[in-house]
Amino acid sequence: MDNTLIDSMKKSFGKSLLYTLPMFLITFLFLTGGRPDFSNPASGFAFLITFLGVNVLYFLMHFTGKTDRFRAIIFIIFAVSLSFTLIKNMVEIRSSMSFSQADIVECKIPFCHLVIPMMIIPAAFTKSIIFPGSIIGGFANISSMLVLWLIATLVLGRGFCSWGCFYGGWDDGFSRIRKKPLIKKLSDYWKWMPFAVLLMVALTAALTLIPTYCDWICPFKAVTEFEQVTNVESAAKAGVFISLFGGLVVVLPVLTRRRTQCSFLCPLGAINTISNKVTPFTIKIDKKACNECLKCVEVCPLYALTPEGVKSGNVSVFCSKCGKCVDACSKKAIHYGIKGIPAGTMKNFSRNLFLFVSFLFIAVFSSGSIIFTLTGLFKLIF
Amino acid sequence: MKKIKIVAGITWAFICLILIIILFPGLNSFSVSAARLPFMKINPNFTGGEVVQQVATEGCTLDIRRPVFDGLFRDRKRGFVQIDWRGNIPDTITDTIDYNLDKIPDFRIIIDRISSRTSLVPLNAKVKDVAVSTSTSYGWALRVGIQK
Repeated sequence: MDNTLIDSMKKSFGKSLLYTLPMFLITFLFLTGGRPDFSNPASGFAFLITFLGVNVLYFLMHFTGKTDRFRAIIFIIFAVSLSFTLIKNMVEIRSSMSFSQADIVECKIPFCHLVIPMMIIPAAFTKSIIFPGSIIGGFANISSMLVLWLIATLVLGRGFCSWGCFYGGWDDGFSRIRKKPLIKKLSDYWKWMPFAVLLMVALTAALTLIPTYCDWICPFKAVTEFEQVTNVESAAKAGVFISLFGGLVVVLPVLTRRRTQCSFLCPLGAINTISNKVTPFTIKIDKKACNECLKCVEVCPLYALTPEGVKSGNVSVFCSKCGKCVDACSKKAIHYGIKGIPAGTMKNFSRNLFLFVSFLFIAVFSSGSIIFTLTGLFKLIF
Repeated sequence: MKKIKIVAGITWAFICLILIIILFPGLNSFSVSAARLPFMKINPNFTGGEVVQQVATEGCTLDIRRPVFDGLFRDRKRGFVQIDWRGNIPDTITDTIDYNLDKIPDFRIIIDRISSRTSLVPLNAKVKDVAVSTSTSYGWALRVGIQK
């Protein structure tokens, strides 16, 4: 290996370490409150692995210059561990993955961000939330989840779907199983479908005052909690949840290498698409550097890039800033940017700032459930 | 203009950075503040509405809630009334309920808690059916479907 390469690697290593230091300190402070507790060996060890793991991933993002491959690791682990946390919580409290009539009557159902599209109209007209959860206190309360989503979506826009959503990791994970897609062409008109779903669930929820998406459609009920199957209606609902999970979260992502549930169904994704107009962070295309190979269009998991868009230097509002296109571009023509800064300029500054903000969010948001899952696994093994 | 746009973009990005940094340490206080917003209460269709009548018997309290007909813009034709039993509840609950406070019994309810069997005897034409009858962490909850 020649000396210049070794020197540049040393320089890059030192620089990446320097970039990681603030993340290391802040995540340590946020996860431990400044006082790490190792009194329980299993949870202490789980904390150590999680804390070091997230910081190694952040370091590697800087050291290798690649974003998506390391983001995907924490994103997928987050999805799996959150489902584990929810299910373990349900099983410990209720001895079952399903919730009962009593849980609804007592408003004990954990709240997730997918309810938000349905609660807007009723909240405006009835001044109340149409969900049998707890406003404050308890597991996954409405107030905390609302604050988390609101700030994250303001800061990241649809970036929330790739850096914050604890369900997105499921179809992201399945979309990476095959090296090449079996279904190469799916009409990208389907990407407007979430707006239709949003309209439908918002209206039906307003009319019935029931969160209809959660009640009838949500595919992630299959990996979290669902209504106890006691009659034909609840059996039909369970059938819908499992079919949609199997179809849109497992089979289609494997066949297309795209995140089909996020692209074609999720109503919150539609709202986050609108919030992409507010966030300062964006993906930019430097037309001067672009050779229009369209590799970015090919790899985009959310149909956010089109050949016409790339040629005119535009990334659509469907972009979730996952970084797959940035990693794929051999000319470094597509890059993270900040609104107002022209494409092709201040690339490193924009990327570093975006990575710090988005990674800090997912690192802190996900660590609790990852630690919980690892602790559970250690207790099971040892 | 170009410079103003750049400065505005970077300023907004730094504000976002600060927002994310304060989000997690401040989450509890932000959540408490958000919980005080006027729309931050659970809809009566889920909570069962406010308690309007409380009847205390030997070691057992009976809470009768207000009938819930709440719709999006106006009341619905069909709703429910929720009754909660708390405390030392007998294995078989037998009660006569006057939910509209007109001093005339509206229905009679018999609940066998062991078999979870619930029998409703309507004494008022507006009383329709048993919507929910379940054991809860505090005792027993019953929702009876009613017409306005």
